[in-house]
Amino acid sequence: MTNDDSIVFIVDDDIRIREALGELLASYGIATHAFASAGEYVEADKPKRPACLLLDVELPDINGLDLQNQIADGDHPPIVFITGHGDIPSTVRAIKHGAVDFLTKPFSDAALMQAIRTALAQDRKARAERADLGVLRQRYLDLTPREREVLPLVTSGLLNKQAAAELGISEVTLQIHRRNVMQKMAAVSLADLVRIAEKLEIPVTHSRRTGEDEK
Amino acid sequence: MITAPYLDRFGFALAGCGAGLVLARLINSPIGHVAAIAAVMAALGLVMAAVALLADRKRVKRVSGKAEQALRIIESMPALAWFADVEGKFLYTSRSPRVFTGLPKEDLAATKDDEFGFRNVVHPDDLDRLLQTWRRSLRTGHDYNCEHRMWHANGGYRWCRSFGLPTRDGDGRIVGWYGTTIDIDELKTAEAALREHERSLQQLIDTVPVLIWRLSPQGNPVYFNKQLVEYIGVPVAQLGSIDAVVEAIIHPDDASAVRNAVQRGIETGEAFGLRHRLRQSDGTYRWVDARAQPMCNGDGNIVQWYGVCLDIDAQMHAEDALRRSERKLQQLTDAVPALVWSTEPDGTPTYVSKRFTEATGATLEDIASSDGRPSLSVVHPEDRPEAIAAFRRSCEAGAPYLQRYRQVRRGGIYRWTETRAEPLRDDAGNIIQWYGVSVDIHDMMCAQQAMQHSERQLQLLVDTVPTQIWCVTPKGEPSYINKTMMDYIGMKLEDFDAEGGLRSAIGDLVHPDDRDALYGALSHSFRTGERFALRFRNRRADGIYRWQEGRADPLRSERGEIIQWYGTNVDIHDQLATEEALRNSTRQLQQMIDAVPINILSFDPSGKLTSASKRYLERVGTPPAHIEDFEGLARHLAHPDDLPIMLPRALDGFSTGTPFVNRFRRRDKDDAYPWIEARAQPLRDAGGAIVQWYMVSIDIGDEVRAHEALRKREQELSQLVDALPVHIWSWTPAGKLAYVNKRSLEDLGLSSATFEDTTTVARDLVHPEDAPEVLRTSLSCLRTGDPFMMRYRRRWKDGSYRWMEGRCEPLRDRDGKIMHWYQVSIDIDDQVRTDEALRESERSLRQLVETLPAMIDCAAPNGEPIYRSQQLREFLGYELDALDGTGKTRLDGTLDAGVHPDDLAGVKERYAHSLATGEPYARRHRLRRFDGEYRWVETRAEAMRDAEGTIVQWNVMCLDIDGEVRAQEALRLAQERLARASQAASLAELSASIAHEVNQPLAAVVANSHACQRWLSAEPPNIDRAHRTVERIIRDANAAADVVSRIRALFKQSMDSRVSMTLASLVAEARELMAEEALRRSVRMEFEVERGLPPVAVDRVQLQQVLINLIRNGMEAMEALANGKVLRLRMRRVAATIQTEINDRGRGLEHPDRIFEPFFTTKAHGMGMGLAICRSIIESHGGKLWAETNETAGATFIFTLPIEARDAA
Repeated sequence: MTNDDSIVFIVDDDIRIREALGELLASYGIATHAFASAGEYVEADKPKRPACLLLDVELPDINGLDLQNQIADGDHPPIVFITGHGDIPSTVRAIKHGAVDFLTKPFSDAALMQAIRTALAQDRKARAERADLGVLRQRYLDLTPREREVLPLVTSGLLNKQAAAELGISEVTLQIHRRNVMQKMAAVSLADLVRIAEKLEIPVTHSRRTGEDEK
Repeated sequence: MITAPYLDRFGFALAGCGAGLVLARLINSPIGHVAAIAAVMAALGLVMAAVALLADRKRVKRVSGKAEQALRIIESMPALAWFADVEGKFLYTSRSPRVFTGLPKEDLAATKDDEFGFRNVVHPDDLDRLLQTWRRSLRTGHDYNCEHRMWHANGGYRWCRSFGLPTRDGDGRIVGWYGTTIDIDELKTAEAALREHERSLQQLIDTVPVLIWRLSPQGNPVYFNKQLVEYIGVPVAQLGSIDAVVEAIIHPDDASAVRNAVQRGIETGEAFGLRHRLRQSDGTYRWVDARAQPMCNGDGNIVQWYGVCLDIDAQMHAEDALRRSERKLQQLTDAVPALVWSTEPDGTPTYVSKRFTEATGATLEDIASSDGRPSLSVVHPEDRPEAIAAFRRSCEAGAPYLQRYRQVRRGGIYRWTETRAEPLRDDAGNIIQWYGVSVDIHDMMCAQQAMQHSERQLQLLVDTVPTQIWCVTPKGEPSYINKTMMDYIGMKLEDFDAEGGLRSAIGDLVHPDDRDALYGALSHSFRTGERFALRFRNRRADGIYRWQEGRADPLRSERGEIIQWYGTNVDIHDQLATEEALRNSTRQLQQMIDAVPINILSFDPSGKLTSASKRYLERVGTPPAHIEDFEGLARHLAHPDDLPIMLPRALDGFSTGTPFVNRFRRRDKDDAYPWIEARAQPLRDAGGAIVQWYMVSIDIGDEVRAHEALRKREQELSQLVDALPVHIWSWTPAGKLAYVNKRSLEDLGLSSATFEDTTTVARDLVHPEDAPEVLRTSLSCLRTGDPFMMRYRRRWKDGSYRWMEGRCEPLRDRDGKIMHWYQVSIDIDDQVRTDEALRESERSLRQLVETLPAMIDCAAPNGEPIYRSQQLREFLGYELDALDGTGKTRLDGTLDAGVHPDDLAGVKERYAHSLATGEPYARRHRLRRFDGEYRWVETRAEAMRDAEGTIVQWNVMCLDIDGEVRAQEALRLAQERLARASQAASLAELSASIAHEVNQPLAAVVANSHACQRWLSAEPPNIDRAHRTVERIIRDANAAADVVSRIRALFKQSMDSRVSMTLASLVAEARELMAEEALRRSVRMEFEVERGLPPVAVDRVQLQQVLINLIRNGMEAMEALANGKVLRLRMRRVAATIQTEINDRGRGLEHPDRIFEPFFTTKAHGMGMGLAICRSIIESHGGKLWAETNETAGATFIFTLPIEARDAA
């Protein structure tokens, strides 16, 4: 497996492990970048490529699991844990928090490569999704404030009449806004727009029925 | 005159007019009137507009109703609105003039001579003016405006104002006039009252005899009162600015002062005033006192300056006259050639004349002291107290003051001054002022003093000449004796009997034996006038009679009469006594010469023998008669051998007159020739001519013999000096070479005359490298007199250089003056070369010691360090001598400063022991390095002994073993940490951590193996990288093996640390460690330990592990129980062992035999190692561990330990 653009980050305090893993992955044609501590890893300037993090649980500065928690908010690469002696609670905790695998030293190359391949594939997908979402976000930001008001009403399924009443504007005006929204968000249909809204996590604020009930 | 239809046309406009009037009513003020007028005008304007609309009659009719209403309003107003045609005929008045004026209509009608009907309504005084104005307006078309009195319905004239404007048609032709007449009587009356008031004020201002003026805030003149205008003859209007004022009416000399004063006043806002000359209308200037004050409004801003000028010209002139008169007087006073001054009655100076200040340089301020009293600082300090006191006395008594004192003059010189002062009294006789005058009397005083001085000098001269001077009248009465004489005779002139005259005086003074002679001589002189001269004895004050030589001469008048005899007495007593003594002395001398044991001869200048002393004659015998002179005598007596030497010298002496000395043998009476020394010296008279030769001869036989002996000794010494194997030189104090011994000459190959001084010796004989230093030092020694000691190389005769040690010391005479320098130079060449070899050897040894990678210290037998190698010095960071002077010995200093406080006592004790016994010393301790870090060192010391076995030195070596010790320490700490960890942790956890240690390298091995496999199976195989991975595999596998052996070593190591201890304490510790866990698990621990159990040798940590492991096992076994979790431990002595039972109430054991096998476990997370390790520990202690299932519930683990502990390892 040779994939030019991917990289594996190795964080382990034992230089022997770093060397051995580097060597092993090199033999598989995978680029690696090794760090001796969590701190080094966090501070390093990491390339924006599909990546995977091989993380030792026992680290000199902070525990690998804690590092996992710390970076959970950001867009970090999928993690494969490696440990000298794995216990069940740690394993469970790591997997629960999204680790791809939890390998106990010594491990076979097959297990390792399987975990790394899974992780890289995951990251590649996540990156693509993040890129799509970025485009959608930019489109959303290009909407006018009024159009941003119109969007959730429309995607909530309100009739034009209802949406116009909600905003206190005429139906004609609302239709103009709606057309603009569709155009700007590059939605081919209302269903498409609903899907986009979902991706952007725009909440469904109204339902048609509720509106009728009030009437 | 006015018809209703006509009015219709204007009704609408009039309504507006009425509204305007209502408005005007509301504003009851002059301005209101104007506004009212304006409003009416506006209304009338509208009327005219209506006229323009006449064409549309219908429209007029439509509004006529409203117009009537407005008309009513306007007609009820208290003002008259009117409309006149182009001729001035009134066509309309807003109300009937009759109503307004209260006059019948006829009175108002226009008549032939009353064209407009004004006559009866308008005040006769105003009529013409009114008519004139009205006609002018009619003629010119200008606005009509006139104030006039008009008859009022109330029955009287009231002031009104009539105002009219023309109205024009489209071509600009006047078509009519409209206007109003308003009652302004009240206004007018008020105005009149005001004007009256102002007029009276104006009159007041104009009539007060003061020049009053007003300036704007900017300082420009606004108003001058009448007086001022008349005064200066210029109205204010012509003087637009302050500059104009200054230019026009201010004296040019005062112009800038006035400008400045005004300017300053304006800037500061403060009142100002000044005196200046003001120009009168006739062109003369008069002095005025001008003052100005600002008036401020409520905000404090200046609105106006009010000023007055008072004519003070007369006053100024009076002052001026007074000043002139005073100046004249002043000049007069200053011109008087005396220093004039005045003071208050109490003496406070009030005035000094100019001349006074000129002369003394002191002004009035200078002479008045700070308290106002006269300081008389101008008086000479010596005279000042007296002058002050006298002046005070005069002041108090009121008496005139006269004092002479020295007064200072410019330049600080003092001159005698006579000062007189007299009081000036008022009518009542009280002193009002003192007037004084000081006259310079210096020249007079000086002359007087000079005279007194010269007289005193003369008197002094007469009194101090050491001669008794006396005067006698021609009759023989003593008239004067000088002080010397008075002192001599102890009497004064008055003491003589005046009656007795000369005889009585002689009787008092002169020796009885001489009285008659003296009297006779004096009488003779008096009679004949011849000079008197006589020796006689006079009685001195002490009663002793002393010889006097008396002389007297007469002083004659021009006519030759004797006026006075002047005489002197000179004491010649001592002189006479000396003469007597001299005579005696000569006699004695002769006797002496004859008595002393030397031979004396005397010769006359030609060499002829004149006398011989008695001794000579006795010793040598009387010379034969034929021998008369020195030469003959010499030939007769001198040893033939000596004669050729002594005779020429003697003859030469005689001929030149120089003294001479001869040593020779002289034949004596017994024909022996003893050595004598003859010295001859000429006696010269006052003129230098030789009067006599004296020759003294003394026997010097002993001396000559001694000299002989000395020479012999010297010769011996010289031989000695020459024979000594050293170089002996001597130098003069100036550094000239005086002597060089033979040895030096031989060694150095020199002849004695080669060298002269130090410089050449140093240059020629000393090695060029040493020469400058030798020369410098030797010259310095010569200068200071310090001894000289140096080592240097001296050139030998064969040209080689040899090391010499030169010492040179001065020989001093009794006074400490240097007579000679003696130098001894010793050949130390061999010694120096040996020294050098030794030093070289020492240096290499020292280098050896210094470079050895160990710190070396040498100490005296008492332990005091005497040497330290550089390594040690660098380690300690100080030199050995830094320890001196601290009050401690060097050893204590070193130990106290360097050895770690915890180790100090032990080190000192060991040192003391070694020093006392001589046993070698060895100890490890911490030593403070220069940077403050304590490092472990191993110090070993051994005594160095001499042949007899006495300790001569201690040699100490100190090795820095810090790294080693720390490594051991680290290992020990790791063990302790492990032990501590394992005490609390279960063995299972311990083994897990061991597993991690092993797994780490194993993981690397596995990964590397896979990598290697891949490199090898690649196409083509990557052998290089495969190699690299294999190398790593080997390395990591070894690391894993190391881990295992390290763990083994740990356990093995701890077996060594068995100590004998009571197990009770161990149990207590274990209970404490498990207390928390027991609480957590709700397990009750019941421990029962038998008292007085003997101690057992155990590894504390290992046994702790066993106890904790078993306790924890028991607790874990009871995990499932709901309650009644009791863990019981019982320890007691069973035969020769101590047996410990740990009992739980768990499920019991299924395989009591297998549980001790490694990797057998019943627990979910256990590794099955705990019990196996426990058993191995107990067995290694020589005990047993087994388990039993309880009869009721649970299991019991039992282990025994032998009391006689034996090492099972």
